[in-house]
Amino acid sequence: MITSTIECGCPPAPAGPSAYTTKDFRSDLKPIWCPGCGDYGVVTALYRALVAIGRPAHEIAFISGIGCSSRIPGYTTAYGFNTVHGRALPVAQGIKMANPDLLVLVAGGDGDGFSIGGGHVPHAIRRNLDLTYIVMDNHIYGLTKGQLSPTTPRGAKTSSSTYGSMEDPVNPLLYVLGYGAGFVAQGVPADMDGLTKMIEEAIRYPGFAFVNIQSPCVTFGDPDDQMKVQKTKMRKLSAEGHDPANRLRAMELAQDYGKELYTGVFYRNPNPPPTYDSQIRERQSALRVG
Amino acid sequence: MLNDLIIGMAGSGGDGIVSAGESLISALAQDGYYAILTKSFGSQIRGGESSCRLRVASTPVLNPGGTLTVAVVLNWEDFLRFGGELPVGPGTVVIYEQKTKVAPDAIPLSVKPAIVRAVPITELAMKSAGTQQAKNNVVLGLLAGWFGLARESILEGIRKKFGRKGVDILQGNERAYTAGLDYADRHPLEGDWRFNPPQAGVGKRRITDGNELCASAALFAGCKFFGGYPITPATEIMQYLQKDIWKHGGSLLQAEDEIAGIAAVVGASFAGRKAMTATSGPGLSLKSEVLGLASQAELPLVCVNVQRGGPSTGLPTKSEQADLFAAAFSAHGDTVRPILAPISVEDMFGITVEAFNIAEEFQTPVIVLSDQEIAQRKDIVDPVDRSRFKLVDRLVPTAAELENYTRFRLTESGISPLSHPGMKGGSYLAAGIEHNERGDPTSSGEMHEQMNNKRLNKLNPLKLRRDLFLIEGDPAAEVGVISWGSVAGVALEAVRTARAQGLAVKLLIPKLVYPVAEEIYQEFFASLRRCLVVEQSHQGQLHRIIRMWVNVPAVFDSFAKSGANPITPDEVLRKISAMPRPTAPASLSR
Repeated sequence: MITSTIECGCPPAPAGPSAYTTKDFRSDLKPIWCPGCGDYGVVTALYRALVAIGRPAHEIAFISGIGCSSRIPGYTTAYGFNTVHGRALPVAQGIKMANPDLLVLVAGGDGDGFSIGGGHVPHAIRRNLDLTYIVMDNHIYGLTKGQLSPTTPRGAKTSSSTYGSMEDPVNPLLYVLGYGAGFVAQGVPADMDGLTKMIEEAIRYPGFAFVNIQSPCVTFGDPDDQMKVQKTKMRKLSAEGHDPANRLRAMELAQDYGKELYTGVFYRNPNPPPTYDSQIRERQSALRVG
Repeated sequence: MLNDLIIGMAGSGGDGIVSAGESLISALAQDGYYAILTKSFGSQIRGGESSCRLRVASTPVLNPGGTLTVAVVLNWEDFLRFGGELPVGPGTVVIYEQKTKVAPDAIPLSVKPAIVRAVPITELAMKSAGTQQAKNNVVLGLLAGWFGLARESILEGIRKKFGRKGVDILQGNERAYTAGLDYADRHPLEGDWRFNPPQAGVGKRRITDGNELCASAALFAGCKFFGGYPITPATEIMQYLQKDIWKHGGSLLQAEDEIAGIAAVVGASFAGRKAMTATSGPGLSLKSEVLGLASQAELPLVCVNVQRGGPSTGLPTKSEQADLFAAAFSAHGDTVRPILAPISVEDMFGITVEAFNIAEEFQTPVIVLSDQEIAQRKDIVDPVDRSRFKLVDRLVPTAAELENYTRFRLTESGISPLSHPGMKGGSYLAAGIEHNERGDPTSSGEMHEQMNNKRLNKLNPLKLRRDLFLIEGDPAAEVGVISWGSVAGVALEAVRTARAQGLAVKLLIPKLVYPVAEEIYQEFFASLRRCLVVEQSHQGQLHRIIRMWVNVPAVFDSFAKSGANPITPDEVLRKISAMPRPTAPASLSR
């Protein structure tokens, strides 16, 4: 797709082998994640996606908030920024606005994105900078040892809800579709190939792209959320015959968040509107003096 | 002949009082005077009472002054609502609307002014222009006539302002102005109230305010990104910048909230650009966590905080100096953020440039504590001589340093080269979490100690920056005054008057308010037995902060008032004279 080449500054999908291997994107920092954590799968899929994208690590800025998953930039060779809780999106937007040539990735957990930082999501979406936002959604606060998160199901007993949660979880997929995101997908580490492809597609999408990854917490998570179960529960949207250009159908499917484990692209805007960063360039060149 | 004239005017929203003040200051700038125009409103968005004060002189005006030379009252109720902002004294000329039906010997003031004149202002407007709306031009005519102020330039201004609105409106306003002039000529004031003509041969000067100068200084300093959120009285900085920043290859974000505004600024700085945010009290509270992040990640940024009355919503349209504690201490952990404070509208340019320079050199957030008065009052200033300023850029790694890049290398100065995305070999992890020299997360107490040393000690050279302190007066004086921000101009005038009256006194104005420059204060205190700190906050925040770091003279008094209560040069002068004498011999105490 020619437009995506211009918009995200990525070379077109490689015809031959990439100039890079996963080693080029893996740092020597040892992850703090528990053995079996879904986030290992996420970072591996990301290395692979970046190989396919083919941009050098030093042209990538990878921004996160606070939480287990927000440690992820440190495990890559990109320029990483592990910011404060909930503010990854505004920091990332500042980076992209200041230097639209960079490939900007944002990551965090469900708490970071839909609780403390929830107010920034609609604005990042309506502003439509060319960013890829990856949420590792595990339905629990792992780093602080197992409290309710915004996506914890009603009734769940956690270290902050001994008698069961009394509130409904948010529906990240429906929220971002409602806010008007141009690219919305959901993946699982249990499906490494699907996840890799989806992240690559998200990066190539010229505009704000959202990938929700059901990334299980082995230590505090629900046994029914674990990778083994994911393998049996997951339903590929492509196999369901879903047309990713159909936003209303995508919203219908997204309503089953928490009940059905759909994976793949829910929505991809077939006519992406101009990104904020492309408008910045236009305005700068139109007004430039000297 | 008068050398210093203070005019105060008040009326209802529709009376055009503020617009008269603006016309007058434009004419005065045209004629080569210096002046300060301050406006004050009730809290209504439109309508309600409004007032302005204008102080004019042939030499630079240091502050809006105290007691009025001339009070113009279109409506007594509105005038009296401004209380201490429009003080009338025994030397004041009071001009008021005859329609108010108050007898000249029964005006509702506690002092007896020098001259009281009831003028049929509305009637003159109706007769000359056929509309009450021309009242403010009648007032301008009266002022020009009685005080000899900018007669021609005011008329020129009226022609410019109404020229596009049709012949009838233009001529009506011209006639209203002439009616005021004629009235003044036919009813001369007793005594000599003519104002000194301006110095010959001076060129036109510019009218500006602190917020506008802040924006133009930011662009001059190389600011390429602004992120912020509308808040009184800082909003104009964003409004000015959004027009021009694109022309310089920059961009601007009106963010969804204060936190996102400064977070985007941190991002832009991480991306290698000079970046700034601007806010006021409540916004500063919200931004404090991200300020801490910038300190920890050692990323330069400038945060302008235009102080208004607080806490919480407080007095959004009034000036106060009560955010010093918040600026110095709000974010958690052991951090020092340099705080700079301009002392006048004109000074805002240099202080903003300096803030960018310090931020970039020391890789730290810098807070500029402006205040509502400096931000929004209009001053006539000389053109800024930009060649006076040197611009500083951040230290970036050399090719050799990028071979094995160590972002937070422990150097002697505490400053380590800072790369940014796009630089090959410069990748690192920036983080709020404590880190080792490479940037990898750590929870080691030893490393934390070393990094705290780095982050705090790197700022020490700032404390020796004597150019960020203004010292004036007799070096051996036993009496001293300290003041900062917009109030410093008041203290400066008071100290100059005191010295002219023969009192040995000296003044210290810190423009670097924090960290406290121990040596500079200690030197200033060496000869002192008595010192007064003058500022506009209830607790006297600078007075207390100095005591935390420095041994102070035997008598170390605070003269502090809450915001919206103007501090006048006369008051400061009286305080200086009334300071108690120390009972013990000169010694320093805590």
